[in-house]
Amino acid sequence: MSDTTEALSAIPQFAADELEAPPLSLRQLAWRRFRRHKMALFGAVMLALLFVYCFGGALWVSEDYANYTDTKARLQAPSVSHPFGTDTVGRDILARTIYGGQISLIIGLTAMLVELVIGVLIGALSGYYGGWLDSILMRFTEAVFVIPQLFLLIVMAKFFGGKVPNLTLLGRTFSGSVVVVILIIGATSWVYLARIVRAEFISLKEREFILAARAIGTPARQIIFGHILPNSIAPIIVSATLSVAAAILSESYISFLGMGVQAPTATWGNMLEGAMNYIEEAPWFWIFPGTLIVLTVLSINFLGDGLRDALDPRSRVV
Amino acid sequence: MGRYVARRLLQAVPLLFIISVILFVLMQSIGDPLATMSGRRPTRSADRERLKRQLGLDQPVLMQYVYWLVGNDWTSIDLDGDGVRETRGERKGVLRGDLGRSLKKRQPVLDLIGERLPNTLLLMGTYEMVVLVGAVALGIYSAVRQYSIFDHAVTGVSFVLYSMPIFFIALLSMYLLAVKPKQWGLPYFPTVGMFEPEAGKTVPQVIWHMVLPVLSLSLISLAGYSRYMRSSMLEVLSQDYIRTAKSKGLERRYVLFAHALKNASLPIVTLIGLDLPTLLGGAIVTERIFGWPGMGRLFFDSVSDADTPVVMAILMMVSVAVVVFQILTDVIYAWLDPRIRYE
Amino acid sequence: MKSKWHFVLWTVFLVAGLLVAACQPTPTVAPPTPTQAAVQPTQPPPQPTQPPPEPTQPPPQPTQPPARKVATFIWTQEFDTLSPLYTNMWFSTTTFELWQCAAWLFDDQNNPFPSLVTELPSVENGMISPDGKVITLKLRDDAVWSDGEPLTSEDFAFTYEMYVNPANTVASTYPYDQLEKLETPDPQTVVMTFKEPFAPWMIMWRGILPAHVLRPVFEAEGSLNEADWNKNPTVGCGPYVFAEWESGSFARFVANEKYWLGKPKIDEIFFRFVPDDASQIAALQAGDGDLGTFIAWSDIPTLEKAGVEVVPAFSMYNEGIYFYMHPEKGHPALQDLRVRKAIALATDRFSLCTDLLLGGTVPAATDWDQTPWNDPSLQPWPYDPDQAKALLDEAGWVDSNGDGVRDKDGVELVLDYGTTTREIRKDTQAVLQQQLAAVGIKVNLLNAEADLFFSGYGEGGPAARGEYDLFEYSTSPSQPPDPDTADWLCSEIPSDEYPDGSNWQANCDEELDALFAKQRTQVDLEQRMATFHQITKHIFENVYWLGLWQDPDTWAVGKRLKNVKISGATPLYSIMEWELVE
Repeated sequence: MSDTTEALSAIPQFAADELEAPPLSLRQLAWRRFRRHKMALFGAVMLALLFVYCFGGALWVSEDYANYTDTKARLQAPSVSHPFGTDTVGRDILARTIYGGQISLIIGLTAMLVELVIGVLIGALSGYYGGWLDSILMRFTEAVFVIPQLFLLIVMAKFFGGKVPNLTLLGRTFSGSVVVVILIIGATSWVYLARIVRAEFISLKEREFILAARAIGTPARQIIFGHILPNSIAPIIVSATLSVAAAILSESYISFLGMGVQAPTATWGNMLEGAMNYIEEAPWFWIFPGTLIVLTVLSINFLGDGLRDALDPRSRVV
Repeated sequence: MGRYVARRLLQAVPLLFIISVILFVLMQSIGDPLATMSGRRPTRSADRERLKRQLGLDQPVLMQYVYWLVGNDWTSIDLDGDGVRETRGERKGVLRGDLGRSLKKRQPVLDLIGERLPNTLLLMGTYEMVVLVGAVALGIYSAVRQYSIFDHAVTGVSFVLYSMPIFFIALLSMYLLAVKPKQWGLPYFPTVGMFEPEAGKTVPQVIWHMVLPVLSLSLISLAGYSRYMRSSMLEVLSQDYIRTAKSKGLERRYVLFAHALKNASLPIVTLIGLDLPTLLGGAIVTERIFGWPGMGRLFFDSVSDADTPVVMAILMMVSVAVVVFQILTDVIYAWLDPRIRYE
Repeated sequence: MKSKWHFVLWTVFLVAGLLVAACQPTPTVAPPTPTQAAVQPTQPPPQPTQPPPEPTQPPPQPTQPPARKVATFIWTQEFDTLSPLYTNMWFSTTTFELWQCAAWLFDDQNNPFPSLVTELPSVENGMISPDGKVITLKLRDDAVWSDGEPLTSEDFAFTYEMYVNPANTVASTYPYDQLEKLETPDPQTVVMTFKEPFAPWMIMWRGILPAHVLRPVFEAEGSLNEADWNKNPTVGCGPYVFAEWESGSFARFVANEKYWLGKPKIDEIFFRFVPDDASQIAALQAGDGDLGTFIAWSDIPTLEKAGVEVVPAFSMYNEGIYFYMHPEKGHPALQDLRVRKAIALATDRFSLCTDLLLGGTVPAATDWDQTPWNDPSLQPWPYDPDQAKALLDEAGWVDSNGDGVRDKDGVELVLDYGTTTREIRKDTQAVLQQQLAAVGIKVNLLNAEADLFFSGYGEGGPAARGEYDLFEYSTSPSQPPDPDTADWLCSEIPSDEYPDGSNWQANCDEELDALFAKQRTQVDLEQRMATFHQITKHIFENVYWLGLWQDPDTWAVGKRLKNVKISGATPLYSIMEWELVE
């Protein structure tokens, strides 16, 4: 488990001291709890700053500059012209962390969406219908669960590697490997979510309001997505938030191993590829992208924790 | 209980079957094992054709799976390429303990794993123990001193460590504990391998070389485990029987270790149960960075070479271990916690 | 307060105790004295759990006054297997000059000299028949295996048999499959009869199998696939004998007491496997290693500062770009010589070599650079972006729609440029992309893991299937030092009918085809060389291949090693003469 981000499921459940809540609406209550969670606020602010850095920074620095090579200015230490130094072909690391950050954040968010779709669908179907469908889906879930995530990621990265062509979006060219990375992270991380959703569905589907909806002939699709899902949204939001952090970490792992996103598209992860060779010679080469990964993941974890306390107080105690 | 275990084991059979099928299909295109077989040049076409036939890679996927599962000693194969199946197969199949041969190293996969497994177990076992002892100690201490400066500090540091990719911790620890001290002329930790070849594989050497990898591995897990232990301990400490024990005038330390710790460790059992089997696979990133000759490196190198028999064997081995440990964990849990009964 | 400290102490103690306990199972078997291993090479291979002997503690034998000399070689990849039958991996075959023997070896100029044979076959000395089909080898009569058995023509015959026997899944049957028959009229004579005159015959016999050890294994098991000798070749015929190999860590070779050319000056060669270049550089810098290989050009200054010498050994490898020229599937622009020439002129390969490779090498003109087979008059294309633009204009590729990319007849000049995931290649891609963009050629960069990249057409290899318009890698024409290659033959263009073809650039040039066919049968060196001068000139002038840099193997030789000479074809050929001084 050490290397995989799966251990996120074992993340400490943050027990904040909480007073008895005065009579407030649910939303107010949640906001109040969240606001009082100092670390969560810190996370939210930090994350906002990181977004400004990656997306706002793009207004100042062009992508062409981030990919601009200058073989004469190879591995230069941080200076005024290159505040974060330069890499092995003389690209500006500051500019690359901006554009790399965009890709890393996008990968984190979209992989979470993929995970959400698969996880919710499988969890909902198997929790709502039960029976043989449940058995089959849960066997499949278990099968994916049994293989450690990093192992599966590496095998799948190799499986899909080089099979997706580069794509152009909004006038920018992205390496096809971005899509591959998003898909494989999504496809290997939904298991935990599916189990949560399934448990929620099993407990909710016997409740009176669902039984009533069924009795008046509401179609199953509407019950699943219109009635049960909104009521189990809290744990899903918490889990989805935390899985953005997990996805960013996963991306950095496989990119670090050289199997993730390929150059020239930068990500924080693949900027660290080959860092081992420069550990002594050029520490700026790995310290900056590495720190940004840690900051992002940390902020998201804080945020997720605050959300858990705010939205889903029942889960506070392990 | 016996029936419960038997049922779980029976359920595991189709599960492992599904896993093996999924993996085998994935294996079909994780790369071309023959591409790099000819050294630094692309493999000659005649050799490619011959090797595919001799290694059975020209067979349909289904047939390859059958050969992998139950072997091919019941049928004949074509070795010389004349279209006539003239030679008796020699493979026994996974079900009879034959994991196949490495395409790259030309040795039985079992031998390759046998060489690497002890190294991985040594590294990971040490790591697991460090984490366990550290987490229990930290967890109890933070729980007892809830909201003290120490507790807050541990909480904060845990969060930061928990958010770090392991390679970043590894790079940092190499930089701070090996590169920098070396520059300053201080004693420094070795960063590569299990021992200095000149000094030989001696106990002090191996311990010395284990420091950095174990440290990098432990820090992250320690963060998660100790938080877990802390909240579990807090919950137990608020229970009535602890209050009773305290009010009876029992010594504080006795209450803590004899009464609370036992029950608070229960969730940790589950964690370990899920963690242990994956340790077999080793730590891919850590072993790679620190050049530890273990299973993780074997796995990664084999994926890179598309050496499918080795990859398949490692993944199946880990899967079987996970399934077995899940059952074991449940059994131990029930044994520790008399409230739980399996029907 | 006191109890708190007790607690901390207790924890520390427990952690320390567990650490020690966890390490107890490490075996502590006494190291075998190295002379034992050398005197009795037939003893069963040492258990892999045995530790290596400590060189700092000389074995307690008064008859050996000087300390044992152990040279440490740093290998960044472990051997796959050691048997010559089953491996073509560079890190394995390079050990052959230590523990194996060859009919002839190549010196640091890649000139052959006899080793197991008494003289090199030639038409003049009558050992090559006038029609070039029959070659006779005369073997030395004093050559012995490390267990004392004589090495005879019987071993040659057995090696040949094993290579072509379908029961063995050998790495490559080439070149032994070119033989029609092999006869051994007496223990010192080998007569090879080829189906066709076979000019590259010198790439044969770089490793010989001990028939007296392996024939019984083959007869018992039906193949050599599972022979223990493949991993523990305790019987060899070189200056050193295999001693042990611990997977993932090290391998040892000790001096062969029975070597038929004397005793090497260094007592033991210790191979240390490290996981990456960084570890190799660190070990070499610290003096923990005496020899390293494949030094990245960018690391050379670091090593030289530490007093480590970097020696290039020319093994005929050159990094370059192939143009995919399939008449239907390829990009139409690449059919035009002017466009290909423009690409050559637009890429600054010179500053690539000076900046990215830190001046360690120079651009290559053809794939036969630095060999006598290359037309000596050829010089790399100059860097001249203005002329490149002019050529593109002349060829009709102009930016008619103002998007910054040239086009012609509605086709944009956008090329897919693929290579492996090696760092230096990715870096090169990024630099070239920028330079080509400056003349209005857009390239998309693509990367694939090495084994995917080098996959054949049938396996979906992107280079073989023509998914890249430009593809870059480093290759030698054939097994060095022979210049032959099938990669330019029309018949080798891969297709659905012939997926194993090796002409991945899908370039069919009748004139070139005929020249390659001609040289293959020219057993006479001078004639063959003249043909190759025509070949290299033709490929260069038509810009079928664009050389990026000469890619010799770079060896790092530590301060302690003296008298080191390295060949490109058989690198460690002079290991006997190497010395180790403190």
